[in-house]
Amino acid sequence: MAEPMYVEALRDALREEMRKDSAVFVMGEDITRYGIGVCKGLIEEFGPERVRNTPISEGAIIGAAIGAALRGMKPVVEIMYVDFILIGMDQIVNQAAKTIYLSHGELDLSLTIRVPEGTEWHGGGCQHSQTFHSLFVNIPGLKIVIPSNPYDAKGLLKTAIQDKNPVLFFEHKQLYTQKGEVPKDEYTIPFGKAAIKREGKDITLIATSWMVRHALDVAEELKNKVSIEVIDPRTLVPLDKHTIIKSVEKTGRVLVVDESPITGGVQGEIISAILEEAFWNMEIPPRRLGAKNTPIPFNARLEEEVIPTKEKIIKCILEMI
Amino acid sequence: MSISKEKKVKMFKDMVRIREFEDRAQQIYREGELDGHLQTCQGQEAIAVGAIRALSEKDIIFSNHRGHGHYLARGTPAKKIMAEFYGKATGTNRGKSGGMYLVDVKRGMMIASGIVGGNICLATGSALASQIKKDKIVTLSFFGDGATNIGFFHEALNMAALWDLPVVFVCENNQYAEGTKREEHQKVGKISDRAIGYGMPGVTVDGTDVVKVYETVRIAVERARRGDGPTLMECVVYRLVGHSAGDLGAYRPKGEEEEWRKTYDPVKIFRTKLLTEGILSQAEAERIIKEAQEEVEEAVQFAKESKEPPIEVACQYVYQEADN
Repeated sequence: MAEPMYVEALRDALREEMRKDSAVFVMGEDITRYGIGVCKGLIEEFGPERVRNTPISEGAIIGAAIGAALRGMKPVVEIMYVDFILIGMDQIVNQAAKTIYLSHGELDLSLTIRVPEGTEWHGGGCQHSQTFHSLFVNIPGLKIVIPSNPYDAKGLLKTAIQDKNPVLFFEHKQLYTQKGEVPKDEYTIPFGKAAIKREGKDITLIATSWMVRHALDVAEELKNKVSIEVIDPRTLVPLDKHTIIKSVEKTGRVLVVDESPITGGVQGEIISAILEEAFWNMEIPPRRLGAKNTPIPFNARLEEEVIPTKEKIIKCILEMI
Repeated sequence: MSISKEKKVKMFKDMVRIREFEDRAQQIYREGELDGHLQTCQGQEAIAVGAIRALSEKDIIFSNHRGHGHYLARGTPAKKIMAEFYGKATGTNRGKSGGMYLVDVKRGMMIASGIVGGNICLATGSALASQIKKDKIVTLSFFGDGATNIGFFHEALNMAALWDLPVVFVCENNQYAEGTKREEHQKVGKISDRAIGYGMPGVTVDGTDVVKVYETVRIAVERARRGDGPTLMECVVYRLVGHSAGDLGAYRPKGEEEEWRKTYDPVKIFRTKLLTEGILSQAEAERIIKEAQEEVEEAVQFAKESKEPPIEVACQYVYQEADN
């Protein structure tokens, strides 16, 4: 089986969907020239009409994508950094998330917003390293996808593009160069299905995005001390509560790791969902790890102090057993 | 470009329908019958009617919070709009909207934006879809003078001009952004002067002159349909009422509204013109007004008698799913 990088798996998903569906088009700032390179090479195959470099205008990029989606197109827009998505926040929250509801289902909105988030390779600082997916979990009408590896990235992006709802698709910057097995044949992954990345019996470790890598490393490192079950929700909206709760009922212990700032973050939401169903199965109180409630600092050591790391996960797990 | 007598009479009818509808809606609101917000458009009828007449049936319109007139001019039944004001199941949005976010997909009326300037980028994107699909459809966006100070206005007009998108931006300059007079919210004399900064034509017209609005929008629509790109149109009018139906406009200089009502009431102006030109008789004009009043009364009756939406509607179609 081929082992493409995450960035290549995303590109393959775009290419496949663009080949089979003329309604799909991509746009974003410098997508053919610069940056992460998910859209690299697409313009040669699909031309400038369907592969559009845009002005630096996040409001218009997102707003225009909504307008095009209202007319039956299936735009996939790239926002260069999640920090910039706030310029178009009104268009996402007040327009995209409301159109299906206000039209009582008469309008579809097949819109995908792809966006890198999380800390960079150190040094992005407080306006280029944020994690915002938890903000959007609080907006009814949006679907939130957060794939942690090339296989999931490809299968979920294809589902996102063909979904009739606005989808925010979060790609952690550290993941782009990660390699993983991806089958040659076409496949998709449904929303709302968590992946059990590693089976275990003592503790449930729920991790998202780049944190899944840490979680798997920790599970391996501590395997002689504790049997860790690693679960990746893959989509936060819809959330696969069933798989998560079943695991916690088995282990009685849960730690949720996500890079969002801890206060108001999705970690707490997942824990609430667990406690509502599985409170009496819990051996010990649930724990959560996230970024500290501070902006992300530039200095590498300071940055590591703020975000969740492998060492912090290990420390937490050891306290829990 | 001459307009037939029949077309002029139809335009007059639609203007009267809008005026009667809005006057009555405002009255009902003030009587405490309606919840929420209600922004009416008295004084701006000629823009809605003139601009929409210049479009073809397949063209797309993005309206705003002061949009009832746009929908009426496009043919959305008055009773469905009124029922929406009452939050009824028979309303345009089944009671989910109220007056601000009307929709009529069948007539190409996308959801109106209650956020000032919220639809300008969306209209640009609709035009982008047309450009990619090559479907020759033109998109028109209505917004007020206040919206031209929003960042989205700038981003959208730049993008639309850059890509020669088939869109017409119609600014209804009604002199007020909510309670703020235009001189206090922007320095520019003519809003259409901003067009040059984006590389598109800009034109200012008397927004009380329905024929002028129609003719000018037609030129812009033809230009867009040819693939030559967008136009910014400023239609100068005066909002003859407060910002919302409950607003008596106390912040306006004394006598201003009366003065404008005397000279810039588009319905009166057009009526006088049609009478003078012999296109309409006094009796016909009276009949048109009476018919419009009857239509509005029927709409009110319909709205009052309509059922409340079933409670499930509250949570339906948050998402487009098979199990809705």
